[in-house]
Amino acid sequence: MSRVRLIAVPVAAALVLGAILLLATGTDPLAAYGAIVSGAFGPDGIGDTLAYAVPVAGMATALAIPLRAGMVNLGGEGQLVLGAISALAVGLYVPGPGPVKVILALLAGVVAGAAYAALAAVCENRLGVPLLISTLLLSYPAMSLAGYLVRFPLKDAGSSLPQSPQLSARLPEIDGVTTGIFLVVAVIAVYAVIDARTPAGFETKVTGWAPRFAAYAGIDRPKLTLRLLAASGGTAGLVGAIAVLGFPYRFIDGALITPQYTWIGLLAALLAGASPLGTLLAAVFFAALTSGGFAMERATQVPRELTAVLQAVLIIFLAATSGVFKRKAKRA
Amino acid sequence: MTRPNPDAVSLRGIVKRFPGVLANDHVDLDVGRGEIHALMGENGAGKSTLMSVLYGLHRPDEGTISLHGKEVSFGSPAQAIDAGVGMVQQGFALFGELTVTENVVFGSEPTRRGLLDRKAATARVTELIERHELRLRPGDRVRDLPVGLRQRVEILKLLYRDAGVLILDEPTAVLTPPETERLFGVLRALAAEDRTILLVSHKLQEVLAVSDHVTVLRDGRVSARGRTADQTAAGLAAAMTGREVDLDRVHPAGTPGETVFEARSLTVPGVEGKPLLDDVSLTVCAGEIVGVAGVAGNGQAELSGAITGLLKTGGTIVLNGQSLDGLSVRARRDAGLAHVPEDRAEVGSAPTAGLRENLAVGFHRKRPLVRKGFLRRKAIDDHASAIIEDYDVRASGPAAAMGTLSGGNQQKAIFGRELTHDAPFLLVEQPTRGVDVGAIENIHARLVAHRDAGHAVLLISAELSEILALSDRVLVLFEGRIVAEFTKDEADQHTVGLAMAGGAG
Amino acid sequence: MIDASLFSSALTALTPILFAALAGALCQRAGVFNISLEGSLLVGCFGAVAGSWYTGSAWIGVVVAVIAATAYSLILAIGSIIFDGDPIVLGVASNLLAVGLTSFLIRTVFGTEGSFSDPSLQGLGQFGPIPGQSLLVYLSWLAVPALAVLLYRHPWGLRLRGVGERPEAASSLGVNVTKYRYGVILAGGALCGLGGAQLALGSVTLFAENMTAGRGWIAVVAVMLGRAHPLGVLLAALLFGLAEAFGFRLQGIGLPQQATDAAPYVVTLVALFLSNVKRKKGQPA
Repeated sequence: MSRVRLIAVPVAAALVLGAILLLATGTDPLAAYGAIVSGAFGPDGIGDTLAYAVPVAGMATALAIPLRAGMVNLGGEGQLVLGAISALAVGLYVPGPGPVKVILALLAGVVAGAAYAALAAVCENRLGVPLLISTLLLSYPAMSLAGYLVRFPLKDAGSSLPQSPQLSARLPEIDGVTTGIFLVVAVIAVYAVIDARTPAGFETKVTGWAPRFAAYAGIDRPKLTLRLLAASGGTAGLVGAIAVLGFPYRFIDGALITPQYTWIGLLAALLAGASPLGTLLAAVFFAALTSGGFAMERATQVPRELTAVLQAVLIIFLAATSGVFKRKAKRA
Repeated sequence: MTRPNPDAVSLRGIVKRFPGVLANDHVDLDVGRGEIHALMGENGAGKSTLMSVLYGLHRPDEGTISLHGKEVSFGSPAQAIDAGVGMVQQGFALFGELTVTENVVFGSEPTRRGLLDRKAATARVTELIERHELRLRPGDRVRDLPVGLRQRVEILKLLYRDAGVLILDEPTAVLTPPETERLFGVLRALAAEDRTILLVSHKLQEVLAVSDHVTVLRDGRVSARGRTADQTAAGLAAAMTGREVDLDRVHPAGTPGETVFEARSLTVPGVEGKPLLDDVSLTVCAGEIVGVAGVAGNGQAELSGAITGLLKTGGTIVLNGQSLDGLSVRARRDAGLAHVPEDRAEVGSAPTAGLRENLAVGFHRKRPLVRKGFLRRKAIDDHASAIIEDYDVRASGPAAAMGTLSGGNQQKAIFGRELTHDAPFLLVEQPTRGVDVGAIENIHARLVAHRDAGHAVLLISAELSEILALSDRVLVLFEGRIVAEFTKDEADQHTVGLAMAGGAG
Repeated sequence: MIDASLFSSALTALTPILFAALAGALCQRAGVFNISLEGSLLVGCFGAVAGSWYTGSAWIGVVVAVIAATAYSLILAIGSIIFDGDPIVLGVASNLLAVGLTSFLIRTVFGTEGSFSDPSLQGLGQFGPIPGQSLLVYLSWLAVPALAVLLYRHPWGLRLRGVGERPEAASSLGVNVTKYRYGVILAGGALCGLGGAQLALGSVTLFAENMTAGRGWIAVVAVMLGRAHPLGVLLAALLFGLAEAFGFRLQGIGLPQQATDAAPYVVTLVALFLSNVKRKKGQPA
């Protein structure tokens, strides 16, 4: 009951703050908010929302998986991009019928992301570099590598932009939404089941609740770290592969970074305590806000960055009140 | 001794409430100048709360505080410090990374032209050390100091601020018997300087030895008070617990069988060539409790880590004929090791998780909690209910967060979990730390029953009375080595206490 | 390959990171985990450009940058101190807010997208004997010993370190923990403001969306490498600055820009390995 109140207050506060910003630019807040909602969930907008939800929910889940054990993977962007570029390479150069190429490309994305994240896990296990640092530091070279590949060996010769040629192997779409969405949903479902019903999921949670207790109970942290990071990177790579196999069917440098999917996904996971369902809901909510923002821009000329601002404000208020929730629980 | 000047400290009608509990219920306390006054009570009786009110950590809901007849009100420890009240808290308020001098002057630093005046600070600290014979070196980093010396730094802090009223909260918990004697010497000298000492303690013998007056709290109220000379140990114990307590209960010996556990030459290197655990060997038989006595910090943590596999060590360990060398923590547990750790909050449980989840840990990989790779919710519930009932764990329900249970109930739950493994070997550390007398009896009885059912038990405890009450054999750990071994009949406070301080032959 | 201008460009690259890293180190000392440095720098960049544009003075731009970044750091301060919110969540959210807010403002205030620059935008200009360095560069170097003195020779520094190690102990000795936490966060914000001003008005004069490009994160790493000590942090930042400048050199001999972009991160990672390996060797079992 009070949990609902704890979410309602920050939402209200964010809405008020946003309204102030809007009034400052001379816009009617109600019209703007209305545009956001109808843009996000209306018959035209719902497709956009779902399209955004795929990468955001995918990245949110990717980051939630290790977060459940208290491990922060800050290298999501690098894993995402590596997955995308690997899928692209396979899609461009591996011979075979369309569907086979698509499957191989998806697999390549998963493997690339998983291996790269596992590398960071090895850095922590064997070399004592904290995950927070190793994942972050590895992220940038990965993005640089992709940037290089797409400008030289994998470049679209007919264009001056840093983008690859178009793939002929593609994931089919339904009403403008990639069928990759089913893959993402499948990953979330698997995560939910493992988290709730299996010993592995239980050990992950115990590690997140109390790491020293987990060690005392015999839970093998290095092995767990490796497995969780691999799953995390693999999911991120999958998201990258799905992105590249969907419209516009090519890899464009920076296209997966600029929308901040990874950071928004991280925040969704953090706010939901990495719970499978909560993370999905938070991610969809943020995706709705983003696509609603585009609609608002079209309708009212207010820059869509405002929704990014609203989002951040909302998260900040939620983070603040989650502290209140924590304190109340402590005193009980 | 008549009371020289009444009301050096006078607390009248103190009431302090916390959510769900009345910690102090109209408590009166009078302490004279130059008096050593003991404040006794079980955990949760309200003595620490009362002292934190006096020290300004909490404001009382009702009641007054007077110092030397003048009424005062403290909104913070800073104000209490200014008024001459100082407190040495349990667990100490020291900064390991800073030196003795820096710790002492922290918050009241001497300055010259805006910057720290190190010379003046060192000079003043050195002067105080010499005057009170505390034998500390001002430049030492506190993290390098043993516990007994750290406590002296705490006292030094109070003297630096010229505290007229010194509150010490369970000061002897971490001291050897000889160190305790030295502390008492320091306290008597301070009292002779007309300083007032308030000693919070639950240790009967020490209160009888050093205090002039005593006040006993029970359930937030004063249950007894008077001159120490007029009290008896039994009387004080009864005042603390509200019933007759068998103080020196010694459980009957067990009947040892086969050797179950054997450790040989366990070694953990330390810094500067001095090992933390030095060539330790011991055996435990089925149906036997072997007690390891010693003051905290003499290698107990390393011994425990070596056995459980949480620490890498040299030497060999054999459990039920199987070598544990190189095996992971999990493998050792599978080989028949159960463990009740010293730190129940950080190591022995997940306080934010539910009781049910806490009890499932360790059983979550095999039947009956797991079937065909999935956890069975009903099996988890049944498992938890069985332990809760069998071990009398009081909680609002299996879903209650572990951290909301009282210390005694948490410990009972952990015991329940570990004993349910029915493992041939149980390592148990500090089983009754922070636990009420009632729960202590319960836990002790459980341990003895567990032994009598044929299990081997290795007990590590800093409470000598507990070791003497339960052990069939007593080993003494001092500076990482086993320095003495006693049979049940040979072991008593004096001989074991002497060995604990390094005085064995 | 290695010559004076290599060091010169390393110095320029170093300054924003150094300011942010000093901010992070100060916070770390007081027990505040501050990963909003990236956003702080960005807000500083925008404030500097806006201030300089509207007043025609680069130095007023610096003042605006400091005010903006300090105000921005209140988010972390209030969120974590008053509301006990998770500093990681607050940090990442703050960074997102900075990106969104500055992008929003570049449109509404300057009417452009992507980046804003103008020939009449006043930069910080040359100061001192070494070519290409502004006054802020020297200030950043001065800040290192200044902070070291503050931390180790001033009562505030002693209390700060106590607050960072054991806040309850500090509090029981009458030190106001909250005051110190606010202090370091806001001071850190101010330092990041200076860093952002150097980035936006130092050798170039422009604001581009997301121009901090991970420097704030490098500062976080520098704090860890340098163990939150002002001098250690300087060395870590210097390592990074040199690697980045060296990377530009490598571009000159034909290596792709992306390789040199990646070089500093790889170098830092290797440095971390080595420093950990060295530390492990000194420890028993």
